[in-house]
Amino acid sequence: MKKVKARLSVTGSVLVILIVTICLTCSGNYGAKGPSESEMQQRADIIRINSMQKFGKLERPAVPFLHQKHTEAVAKKNKDCTACHLTQKDRLVFKYMRLEDSTQQAVMDVYHANCVACHQQTAAANEKSGPVVCGECHQERTGLVSVWQPMGMDKSLHYRHSKAQNEKCERCHHQYDEVTKKLFYAKGQEGTCRYCHQDVTEENRISLQQASHLECINCHSQTLAKFDDAGPITCGGCHDPAQQKLIERLKVVPRMQRNQPDTVFVRASKSGIKDPKQATRMKMVPFNHQSHEEYSDTCRVCHHANLNACVQCHTLQGTKEGKYVTLEASMHRLNVNMSCSGCHEINQRAPECAGCHVSIAKTRQQDPSACQTCHMADVVQVAESLQQTDEKELAAMYLAAREPMTDMYAASDIPENVEIKALKNQYEPVKLPHRKIIKTLSNNIKNSKLVAYFHADKNTLCQACHHHSPAAQKPPNCASCHGRPFDERDPSKPGLMAAYHRQCMDCHDAMGLEKPVATNCVACHPKKS
Amino acid sequence: MSITRRKFLGWLGAATAGTTLGNTANAASNKHFSGYPNSMGVLFDNTRCIGCRKCEEGCNTVNELPAPERPFDDLSVLNTRRRTDAKTYTIVNRYDAVSNVKVKEPLYRKVQCNHCLEPACASACFVRAFSKTKKGAVIYDASVCVGCRYCMIACPFEIPTYEYDSAFEPRVMKCTMCSPRIEKGLLPGCVEACPTEALTYGKRTDLLQVARARISKFPDRYVNHIYGENEMGGTSWLYLSAVPYKEVGMREDLGVTPAPKLTAGALSGVPIVVGIWPVLLTGIYAMSKRKEKIANTETKLAVAAAVEQANTEAKANLKSEIEAVNKMKQKEIDNAVKKALEEAAKPKEEDSDAQPEKAEKKPSEEGS
Repeated sequence: MKKVKARLSVTGSVLVILIVTICLTCSGNYGAKGPSESEMQQRADIIRINSMQKFGKLERPAVPFLHQKHTEAVAKKNKDCTACHLTQKDRLVFKYMRLEDSTQQAVMDVYHANCVACHQQTAAANEKSGPVVCGECHQERTGLVSVWQPMGMDKSLHYRHSKAQNEKCERCHHQYDEVTKKLFYAKGQEGTCRYCHQDVTEENRISLQQASHLECINCHSQTLAKFDDAGPITCGGCHDPAQQKLIERLKVVPRMQRNQPDTVFVRASKSGIKDPKQATRMKMVPFNHQSHEEYSDTCRVCHHANLNACVQCHTLQGTKEGKYVTLEASMHRLNVNMSCSGCHEINQRAPECAGCHVSIAKTRQQDPSACQTCHMADVVQVAESLQQTDEKELAAMYLAAREPMTDMYAASDIPENVEIKALKNQYEPVKLPHRKIIKTLSNNIKNSKLVAYFHADKNTLCQACHHHSPAAQKPPNCASCHGRPFDERDPSKPGLMAAYHRQCMDCHDAMGLEKPVATNCVACHPKKS
Repeated sequence: MSITRRKFLGWLGAATAGTTLGNTANAASNKHFSGYPNSMGVLFDNTRCIGCRKCEEGCNTVNELPAPERPFDDLSVLNTRRRTDAKTYTIVNRYDAVSNVKVKEPLYRKVQCNHCLEPACASACFVRAFSKTKKGAVIYDASVCVGCRYCMIACPFEIPTYEYDSAFEPRVMKCTMCSPRIEKGLLPGCVEACPTEALTYGKRTDLLQVARARISKFPDRYVNHIYGENEMGGTSWLYLSAVPYKEVGMREDLGVTPAPKLTAGALSGVPIVVGIWPVLLTGIYAMSKRKEKIANTETKLAVAAAVEQANTEAKANLKSEIEAVNKMKQKEIDNAVKKALEEAAKPKEEDSDAQPEKAEKKPSEEGS
């Protein structure tokens, strides 16, 4: 009897173990839930090998290839890039084991023969190796998340490169000669790579991706062979957001020299500014090119297609090269960062500006007097003055004549606290620290030249809250305009309660102030005692 | 009764034509009800909502609804996705994971009856418990409600709820747009309570203008669509949003057809079917009945005529026969008289007694 019992319990426990194992394996294999985003491996070096795409539709999913993993594996075997990349004229060709994509079969064979062979050899040597079966490489879902970020050359990086190259611009910059079909260097004609090298390879120019990898990595690896220090040669070195942050940035970047003006009049016609008849009727805009260089990371921000003057493409009437964007639009269009107004408006989204500007409608139409902040130089006068003076100096004179507005009411003129008793039935009065608010706001913006020139009056700052009434030291009460809500005759005007709440909350929100929380009534309205 | 197949099909055809003809007048018209003029509405702007639940509190107070389990200033309630119920006409839900990075999270959505211009609940209700007032509210009359809850099924916004825990007089419960208050010129409870005017109250036509003005003034703050302007044929409650509406749980698949129109074709047949078919069928029945009656009468008449004729003929026969018999009798009498006279001397009395008896019997046999 005892024996039977023992046997039963053994069988029972074995069964339980079996069931548990089966359940576990099943859930492992058939669990429909994929890995969550946080569980997925984040990498900056994922390359989808889709070289076959140019020969027609892919028969199997493109292979996700981890470049960094292979670079490290090859390095362990004391091999370098040439283990996978052929060289041509001492330069690596960034195709796998071939110089060009000849035929579909040939390209396919290159991958299948070489990848699999290497994996097999490595496995044979009892080392950790890669897949040799079709489906292990050709995978749709990989559990990988790409954190790849585009890399750009900002002014700081450019300066470090030109310094390292002893200002030999021709090491990177070149142009294409249509006749000789060769690259040549033209001094003073340099532009950014992207002006020619676009997203995809065109007839006589390779894509930006190819061009940058070819140039950058070759140069970096050659430098690394001679010296200890060079730029990154791994994927992550340039494209991993974490490693991008490690790239040294100069605080003060010496000015880039490319024959650009320091101060200049914005051209309204291609023919020049000396002839008043050729120019626009608008007053001319003297432009401080030098200071605007400081506000931008790259020249490309404004000079988005080439380094010529804007009017070369954006004429008063618009041209085909300029996609028929007129000069006026190119200077004033909103929601783009290459126009004057657009960039200025984007600057207003900074927390120190957004508090007030969030409730001001974003329209091109401004007070006509605001035009003259930029349009200040009379066409005829400029033409006459240019007989004697240099354009640069004249523009600088006009710019120097502007007076930045730094004036502010004396602290004693600003009420220190304002008591708001509108909800006195429910709460104690709200004590608004009026002077403190103004002080904070004006401190936040005191170093901004944009503010100094565009906040034209000492009342301008006040008018963010005390709006829609003439600027004055003692503006009207809020309740003068905002009363009972939802007036049929003026349905868009908020009532007093909403006017207060939205003025405070919208501003706090836009400035990123987390306290007081909007839903915490008693933080502003003390409880009635 | 006897109806031929041909006749039956003919009547059926007539009936169908009658039904459809009665219907086309509405279904093919381009009439669109765009709301009562000057009807009121509310515009909810989710870029202004701060999720304070004051609207819920305001609603609860003015409608004298039972106090909630957790107080209105407990904002942790927003951690769960809620819906309206028999004790709550309106709720606010929070949406954290919205796609648009420009938008400051979270966003909130207020849920309550949208007060359709042509309400689905009203069209589904067969006792007319729901009605759209001229001020814009869709209101409910519990006194006629039979508790079928068709309204709850009909509403595309899942708004009407039912007092399941009330055993005797359960009602359908939903936001009334504070109809009694707006009739008095007061604001709806939620609107009055909102500290930021995330809820704007006004004439629906004005609200549409206000909403459009906001979109054009801050084009990158709003989705360029006013929800409720055309959804389900238009609603008195309108919405503005910083993100596509489906990201804050609002249905974008509703279309612009008012709910009643979806069923109008079929339902407009009902009065005709109810009105005409009984008359028609009764008529058919009456007609066939009448025919039968006429036929019956005719048969009776014919039979009567035939009987009459037979009678007359019989009478005539009888007469001639009687006459013949009488003649024969006369002849026999004559013969007998002759014989008697001839046998003058012989005994004559025996024969003359028997003959008259036979002649009397014969007519009675014929008449039966």
